[in-house]
Amino acid sequence: MKLLETTWNHQSELAIFCRTGRYNPIPGVNEKHVSQYRQLVYNVVDDTLQSAFPLTHHLLTPKEWDGLVNDFFSSHPCQSPQIWTMPKELWAWVANKRSPLLKKYPFLDELLWFEWLEIELFMMEDKTTACKPEGNLKKDKLVLNPEHHLKHFTYPVHLKNAKYITPSDKGHYFLMMHREKVTGKVNFTNLSPFLARMLEILSEKPFTFKELIEQTSTEFEVATDQQLEEDVIQFLDNSVRSGLISGFQ
Amino acid sequence: MVGIGFRKDFAEEFLNSSVLQPSFIEAAPENWIGVGGYWKKLLMQALEKYPLFVHGLSLSIGSPDPLDFDFLRKIKSFLKETQALVYSEHLSYAKCDNAHLYDLLPIPFTYDAVDHVSERIQQVQDLLQQKIAIEIVSYYTPVAPEMTELEFINAVLKKSGSDLLLDVNNVYVNSFNHHYDPYKFIDGLSVENVSYIHMAGHLKIADDLIIDTHGEAIIDPVYKLFEYTMDKLKKDVPVLLERDFNIPDLADLQQEIRQLAQIKKTALKQKSYETA
Repeated sequence: MKLLETTWNHQSELAIFCRTGRYNPIPGVNEKHVSQYRQLVYNVVDDTLQSAFPLTHHLLTPKEWDGLVNDFFSSHPCQSPQIWTMPKELWAWVANKRSPLLKKYPFLDELLWFEWLEIELFMMEDKTTACKPEGNLKKDKLVLNPEHHLKHFTYPVHLKNAKYITPSDKGHYFLMMHREKVTGKVNFTNLSPFLARMLEILSEKPFTFKELIEQTSTEFEVATDQQLEEDVIQFLDNSVRSGLISGFQ
Repeated sequence: MVGIGFRKDFAEEFLNSSVLQPSFIEAAPENWIGVGGYWKKLLMQALEKYPLFVHGLSLSIGSPDPLDFDFLRKIKSFLKETQALVYSEHLSYAKCDNAHLYDLLPIPFTYDAVDHVSERIQQVQDLLQQKIAIEIVSYYTPVAPEMTELEFINAVLKKSGSDLLLDVNNVYVNSFNHHYDPYKFIDGLSVENVSYIHMAGHLKIADDLIIDTHGEAIIDPVYKLFEYTMDKLKKDVPVLLERDFNIPDLADLQQEIRQLAQIKKTALKQKSYETA
């Protein structure tokens, strides 16, 4: 390290000012213009977080939002060199720090997570899987689109306007998000626990419809009647159309 | 060659029309590494048509923090995957105290910083196994300077052996904000190191301050400084039009590209230039 401690300290002071807005005099600095750095840095971070979390931004009051961004950026050292992944750090920070905002909005960490997952899925590197586009839904093994997130929430952050979510909404919610191959768009499917488990099984490896329904029914201790089979077939048919099921083996 | 910064804001329109006709595109690796889906498709489409120059944002060459070699290795893979012709970074820092700041902060113009930055540029060049171009940044305040900006830049170039990415707009902005003659600055620069030029617009926000926004059209005094720079260079170098915000009609951007190309062409006719 060829940098002297004094130079290091001056750089650190400017960086601290950018993160916190607290300025300690630095030799040679134009005190009138140095404020631009705090403003530029803060605006970049704020704009990025607003774009990533539009639902959360809409939910919180302006004072709450500004407080959240300020607290996060001043106390958390952002680790990602890629700014588009920085919002994930806000979600993790809120969840781990148990932000005071969670008292008023107990679902806030899940709302942030839901919003981040959509970005992550939309942006994720391409994953391919070997399968045929055409096949027999009832006989062939089904191949799940590998570009998906299957998640469990305790609040219906994907179903209700966040302003109207209350503690009484607490429960079990299952969401499948997948990325369409052609358009790259993210699709959302709200699932029953039965279908969520069935897709979880399918995410491990390809199974036939019969294998899937038998294994899931056994785990749920329900009988496999004709109605259940018809409902599952209908769901799988829709899943092929939407691209949640990529194809057949 | 006159290129354009490949921005997601206008990528689709750009690729689906022939309005904008750059010779190359430039992209920040931070915005594309690890990205698939829709954006990856557009980038791949663009790379089928245009050569790529890669311009980094977050390597933080001037930081007191250690270099992020993991990220640098990702950049190396990205350069290989995209067959990028050039990799450039900023003579600034964007990370300190183990925290990314997502903007470019001015390095103190000090002798130890020259040694520190030069050593890091060499480390980057060694790992990438290629020369990089380092960009003069706009700055709004000096920090504990022991020398002038010009002396600092020249010293880093001499010590590191890197190329210079000359952002002519930044020279104009800095000359206004710090009260010096931009023409004399160009005269004093190690122009033999210049391998690449950036051109952009800026915003005057106060009587004594211009911010380098990349959100406006290039103004005439910056075109004039570019013309002067081309005359000084005595060689042809690629030029990039940067437009990151407040995106106008693509026809307006093409007009700027045309004007830059015309200035280059005129300068090339006047003298016997090296070709790039």
